[in-house]
Amino acid sequence: MNGRAALVHDRALEAYGFGDDHPFNPLRIRMTLELCDALGLFDGHPWVEPELAEEADLLTVHSLTYVRLVQQAAAGLVDLVELAPYGIGTSDNPVIPRVHEAGAHVVGAVLKACRVVMSGEYDHALCVSGGLHHALRARASGFCFYNDAGVAIARLKEEHPGIKVAYVDTDAHHGDGVQWMFYDDPQVLTVSLHESGRYLFPGTGGVEEKGRNGGIGYSVNVPLEPYTDDESWISCFEAVVPEVLRAFEPDLILSQNGCDAHKLDPLTHLSATTRIYEHVPRRMHELAHELCEGRWVATGGGGYDIWRVVPRAWTALWAAVSHQDLPEKAAADWIAKWSSMSPVKLPALMFDDPRDYPPGPRQPQISDANHRTVEAVLEQVLPHIR
Amino acid sequence: MLLVEDSMTRDVVTLGPDTTAAEALAASRRERVRHFPVVEGGTLVGIVSDRDLRSATPALGDPDRAGALQEMRVSEVMAREIRTAHPQDPIEQAANVMRERKIGCLPVVENGRLVGILTASDVMEALVYLVGAHEPGSRMEIAVPDRPGALAGVAGVFGMCGINIVSVAMGAKTKSPSGDEFGERIVVFRVDTIDPSGVVEHLENAGYRILWPPRP
Repeated sequence: MNGRAALVHDRALEAYGFGDDHPFNPLRIRMTLELCDALGLFDGHPWVEPELAEEADLLTVHSLTYVRLVQQAAAGLVDLVELAPYGIGTSDNPVIPRVHEAGAHVVGAVLKACRVVMSGEYDHALCVSGGLHHALRARASGFCFYNDAGVAIARLKEEHPGIKVAYVDTDAHHGDGVQWMFYDDPQVLTVSLHESGRYLFPGTGGVEEKGRNGGIGYSVNVPLEPYTDDESWISCFEAVVPEVLRAFEPDLILSQNGCDAHKLDPLTHLSATTRIYEHVPRRMHELAHELCEGRWVATGGGGYDIWRVVPRAWTALWAAVSHQDLPEKAAADWIAKWSSMSPVKLPALMFDDPRDYPPGPRQPQISDANHRTVEAVLEQVLPHIR
Repeated sequence: MLLVEDSMTRDVVTLGPDTTAAEALAASRRERVRHFPVVEGGTLVGIVSDRDLRSATPALGDPDRAGALQEMRVSEVMAREIRTAHPQDPIEQAANVMRERKIGCLPVVENGRLVGILTASDVMEALVYLVGAHEPGSRMEIAVPDRPGALAGVAGVFGMCGINIVSVAMGAKTKSPSGDEFGERIVVFRVDTIDPSGVVEHLENAGYRILWPPRP
């Protein structure tokens, strides 16, 4: 199990973000890359330049009206009232200068990551800026303007007729945008493990959302109870992901590695620790080698404790993508540099100490409820996947 | 909004009183419907479900079944006393009739003519749309004092934060375990944001009790 790994990145990708007062702050990318660098994890791994996404790329999954509105909004040419139905210019998705270019650049980076893996140039690729999974066909949503995974999958299908892509989304929020784009497509298996939409945004991702028409069974949703901990999270992941992927036999795995299921995340209510950010990439890696000759593309996603969680989670992701061991300790000079800016104490170790995260009082009931969800999921989808 | 005509199915598959049970069951499979209004000369004369037909005929595997299905006419099994709805009835009124009578559908009749059918799934769909569950949003539960202006106060805080409200549902008064009223009501909002933490803080500062989401 060895292969070459690409980090697709350039500084221009860090223009996608909405400022210091907004949860989606591009500092999270900067801090991640600097932590990888400080730990020596980029040695021998020069970054691969993203390609530029054309308008035609965006139009594979977005409507022309919507793309035009994003372009015009950034230029200040449209009234906010007109943009509201498209989710543009809200407090979640504010209009920043050149938002169209920034969003399209993320799409180009994930496209590039997929293409270098499909061409065999690299076995695995990571684009930490990708993972904008809420963007809908004609609507910005949940910090996402353009759906990078959606465009990449649509293009892969054109360039490699008959290709089967497994999209595995472990962000705490349901991967709704990608799911709806391929809801009736049996060539694209979308799997999402997320906090139940009973309360949490976007509200979808119930077990019964399993695809439509020919795509029935190819949308897999595992909605987890609020306060789900590592133990239960991992057991649900293990019960569903390997089994549905083996049934599907993908040609490429595209993973969305949002890290907002962590207990410290301010936007969600799951209770995971860095243990799942060690577990998930390792398992995606193993499954990629088992099922599709290692072809695995990983992206970032959500993750809003940008100080204590995101840099460590995505450094662990890069370590798995690039077959490197993770040191036990975070780099001292990295801590020194960012401590002055951080409102919270930066962790000295790369992984959380389980003793700092004792199980909550309702863990048995939560695990039991999740267990029943998993059984219902498998019953709903497994008979259909082939 | 929320009238029967907004949610009813307009293309109704109907049967005649002389339709055979075999034909009716075939139609049920083909059209994927369970309830059929029975119409004679343009007038609604009865209603029949696939279950009525099945329980009136010999079980699957019984050698007499095929013959019986050909013999039996819909008029022999259909219900003749029918509750109907009017297109302009409020949907909650129709839903209440279905709930109290434990029936799965209501034919919709206007000026003596059958114009649609309202099924339990149509009512469910209306509920989903009513609470905006088909659009992206976060769900929040807020306890507000049971007095004039309380809802306006909460809505004003959302407005100030620039967050669009997708739907609002205000429930009955809350009660303590001993049955005393707390003097507040629970309001469920769906709001168009992935990040309610800012508005939660503003609401708490304004003295409202937030039941969900919890503080990080």
